[in-house]
Amino acid sequence: MSRSLDHLDKLENQSIFIIREAYSQFRNIALLWSIGKDSTTLMWLVRKAFFGKIPFPILHIDTTYKFKEIYDFRDKYAKEWGLNLIVARNEDAVANGMGPDKSKFECCNQLKTIALKQAIAREKFKALLLGIRRDEHGIRAKERVFSPRDEDFEWDYKDQPPELWDQYKTKATEEEHLRVHPLLGWIEVDIWDYVKRENIPIPELYFAKNGKRFRSIGCECCCGPVESDADTIDKIVQELKTTQISERSGRAQDKEDDYMMQKLRSLGYM
Amino acid sequence: MKIDTDKKIVLIGLDGVPYNMIEEFSQDGTMPNMAKLISDGVFRKSESTIPEISSVAWSSTITGKNPGEHGIFGFTDLHKNSYQLKFPNFNDLKEEPFWQQWDCESVIINVPSTYPSHEINGVHISGFVSIDINKSVSPSSLIPTLMDMDYRLDVDSSKAHESMDLFLEDLDKTLSARIDCYRYLWANRSWQFFMLVFTGTDRLMHFLYEAYEDKNHKYHDKFLEHFRKIDSVIGEISERISDKDTLLLMSDHGFERLDYDVYLNRLLIDENLLSFTAGANPSLENISNDTIAFVMDPGRVYINYSDKYPRGYVDRGDKDKIISKLKTLFSKLKISNKNVIRDIYTKDEIFFGKYIDDAPDLTLVANEGFNLKAMMKTPGLYSKGIFTGKHTQDTAFLLAKGISSDAIGEKPKVSDVRSILESTIK
Ligand SMILES: [Zn+2]
Repeated sequence: MSRSLDHLDKLENQSIFIIREAYSQFRNIALLWSIGKDSTTLMWLVRKAFFGKIPFPILHIDTTYKFKEIYDFRDKYAKEWGLNLIVARNEDAVANGMGPDKSKFECCNQLKTIALKQAIAREKFKALLLGIRRDEHGIRAKERVFSPRDEDFEWDYKDQPPELWDQYKTKATEEEHLRVHPLLGWIEVDIWDYVKRENIPIPELYFAKNGKRFRSIGCECCCGPVESDADTIDKIVQELKTTQISERSGRAQDKEDDYMMQKLRSLGYM
Repeated sequence: MKIDTDKKIVLIGLDGVPYNMIEEFSQDGTMPNMAKLISDGVFRKSESTIPEISSVAWSSTITGKNPGEHGIFGFTDLHKNSYQLKFPNFNDLKEEPFWQQWDCESVIINVPSTYPSHEINGVHISGFVSIDINKSVSPSSLIPTLMDMDYRLDVDSSKAHESMDLFLEDLDKTLSARIDCYRYLWANRSWQFFMLVFTGTDRLMHFLYEAYEDKNHKYHDKFLEHFRKIDSVIGEISERISDKDTLLLMSDHGFERLDYDVYLNRLLIDENLLSFTAGANPSLENISNDTIAFVMDPGRVYINYSDKYPRGYVDRGDKDKIISKLKTLFSKLKISNKNVIRDIYTKDEIFFGKYIDDAPDLTLVANEGFNLKAMMKTPGLYSKGIFTGKHTQDTAFLLAKGISSDAIGEKPKVSDVRSILESTIK
């Protein structure tokens, strides 16, 4: 039996460390679960980090426009995994008939952003765990493992805290919540490799049916499927590997150095 | 050197355990076997290396050499002519450990800074920072046996950041596995030198020194339990050796309460002696080309010489001026009205040997309660975090049975252990 760390083990270790560290720092924390493959992978890691019993709530922002499969999936696994699931909606906006037909931007803002803001204020969460990956587009790629948002959810460049490891003493102030990104070191292919290795359940929408599949899932109205025949994880990974060149694991020494750094840091060095 | 065929030498390390703690535990009944050894043997306060960290102290212990000779100055160092961090390991140790020079079979378990393990005449299982079990065990044929006994290379200290209970559970499992491993090798290998280091003591004290001091602390009993368990092994080993044999117990450094972590690079930044390229993260790699000096863990100060570093700034001719400026700065540093720094050493004062060029220009030793750190991104000049204990330089211990007190001296150093042991070999 070998304990040498392969790429996924390393990512898993890092993520679990971040998850535990986030929880120990901000007890009042929640996992934001979109039910997509990334946040479901994050859920899997959180379950591992706490040996199957997640000590904080799972927050699902319900726009009411999600795919039926997503709701079914959510309810099935919330029960199976014994989740403390909080479903949050912007009830006023829903009651006022907000929908994508009004304005896609306004729909998202009202049903997602504002709903989330309300939920955070109501539940007094100090931090949220999010399943954002490094290879996601735009500003997201720049996010650090911990990133603060003020009350208006503005991006505060100046107030960026140091990376996770140097963060032991910094506490979130009353006004802001912290966004923690345990998957920031992962790329899309890593997620698929890991979903396969761990046999993590994910919604069927990701797999090709009639020559189409969803690469990301969310609201039914705003997600378009892509042309694909990939109806298994292997085929999806193959598809991703042929459609994009990805730099995979570095040299073995780099991995070992990373792990050493992690060990030294857990003892307060560096 | 040849050990008589009917003689055995046993060296037991208790990482970080201070003299006063051994004294207290042997008097209050926590470590009765230790008490017996103290009454039969020679018990001394001893001195660690400077800096007082395990990588340096154990490297000096097993070679009997100064860091300037063996080349290990910390857990981290920089690649030559760069600011790029490297992690010196056993392959970087420039002197052979004494067991390689003794003409005998040895069993070496969990000595820090001996990763990756080397093939020896006997068994070598490396200690902190060991990463990959496949590179930690010589001969590798032992790996399945170790896996069967759930051997753990090290306590998972990251657990302490999340749950002390989980950490303590892991600590105890690690100790149990270490004991199983020692028993197995003691019985199943032929050997004349046996070395076993317990490192959980250091981890325990980093996180829970407060639990030692405070009798009402939630984990006070757990703390004592760890030491009781080690004491029972010490009793077992004492029983298993004869009067002809040599037994030496030691720690590589001491421990005391931590009041504040003090961030020395922050001081340099505040004094405009250290800065970073515009817009870049504060880190060694991003040091700007007008930086005077920087610090590496724990209190190693390096002058940014123009002939040594890619963005070096200081001319060698200004050395004395810079050193005196830095000395003044550090010696004046006060927190809560107390001086933070106890001693400041230039490299010539404490280091000698072929590798002295790699030594820090100044090495700082802190006063009681202050833990020196090199972290760049910090909440301020100092803070108090999760750690409640810190290393000490001058309160390690040494306890020997079967060695004359003359050979040990009044105030031994960890680098004397080699010659102390060799005094028992003809
Ligand atoms: Zn230590």
